[in-house]
Amino acid sequence: MSSLSRHVTIALAGAVALACGDIGAPVRNDFYEWRLIVPTAGGPDTVHFHWSREDLPVRVWVAADEAPDLPAHVQRAIDTWESAYLYGEFRGELVSDSNTADVIVRGVPAPLKAAARTTRLPSALAPECGGATDLDITPDLSQLRLPMRVYVDPRVSLDTPGLADCLALTSIHEMGHAIGIFAHSANDADIMFTDPQVDLPSARDLGTAEVLYHLDPTIEAVGP
Amino acid sequence: MPKSFLLPALLLFAGATGLEAQTDYYARVGVIGASKLMRDVIIDDISVRPSIAPMLALGASLPIGPGYRAGLEATFASGSYHQEEDGVESDLGTLRTGSLLLGFDGPIVPSLRWRVGAGAILYWPSEDAGIFLQGGTTKFLAGFGVDYRRPVMTKWDLMASARYDYHRFTTEELERRGFSQNQPVSRVSLSVGLARGLR
Repeated sequence: MSSLSRHVTIALAGAVALACGDIGAPVRNDFYEWRLIVPTAGGPDTVHFHWSREDLPVRVWVAADEAPDLPAHVQRAIDTWESAYLYGEFRGELVSDSNTADVIVRGVPAPLKAAARTTRLPSALAPECGGATDLDITPDLSQLRLPMRVYVDPRVSLDTPGLADCLALTSIHEMGHAIGIFAHSANDADIMFTDPQVDLPSARDLGTAEVLYHLDPTIEAVGP
Repeated sequence: MPKSFLLPALLLFAGATGLEAQTDYYARVGVIGASKLMRDVIIDDISVRPSIAPMLALGASLPIGPGYRAGLEATFASGSYHQEEDGVESDLGTLRTGSLLLGFDGPIVPSLRWRVGAGAILYWPSEDAGIFLQGGTTKFLAGFGVDYRRPVMTKWDLMASARYDYHRFTTEELERRGFSQNQPVSRVSLSVGLARGLR
């Protein structure tokens, strides 16, 4: 075979391969443990939750007058997590009726003691504000009773510099719990780190949020 | 719809006014189906595919030689698209497509003509979300087909057409997320309509 023929053959083979090849998906292997580890009589059990397609859009009620711009911060948090998904796995919307809400967000400190059957995910230890998410999980770990209760509260006077940023990132962090990231990241570059240092979810946060929606949950949401 | 789509069409129709006697116009309605737009793997295989959608085709052509014509054909389709994962389908919203092809056609047998063309396809989602988070996309498109025409009135023909076209699909959002290459997409359409025939 002449040199020209060989080059033409290689070029044609390359063109055919390019024309026929499928799109290449990225490898999703950059995520952290998101499940809630619950001690039981038989040893630790893992609780994995995500909203089902039938639950969407998740209805979020926000107390409008308890923390500055809290509805706007929560809406931005919903938008931020929605953008993690390629296939509409999570969608949320703010609603005006707290009685029909799946998630209730308050701008006050979390009650000192969570209700007996509630699991609290405490977080956001920044000086300007704090956050917590309370989950009402049945003792047999089969159901998550709605609504989830989220607290994002200012800890300083409302004109303190940095408060708005703290409320914004804490809203994203707590909504991260509300979509199903029930554990904290050990990496301070992630917004799901216990004491978040960043303003937006990292690639690992987004990767974790994405992967958890493609595994079957161990609990289902019931109510409100 | 971007100017790149509208401008050539307007120019063709504007220029055709002086050549009205030789210009062939047609409009058809039909359905169009497409192969999957992309595949992904997150635990299980995932594919995204448009549903079979209604379409509208408009076109015009001018003679370029004995029996041969050149023209523009624009199509518009609007339908849902969905994701399939582990045998379960989920609706992803509405996806509109518009295409514009510069083509040539010629005779096969009386009443039947071949057509080839190349142009562009525009994806225009109803919502900038998911794979279209950064917006729609425009891709190069090539296709071929056949037209069957039968006179039904003095100046009008019944026109039935079959088309196949091919392009490669990706979006800015998929590229941003590290998807490599792009997905070959084949589309097939069947349509019927009326053509202002040349006698």
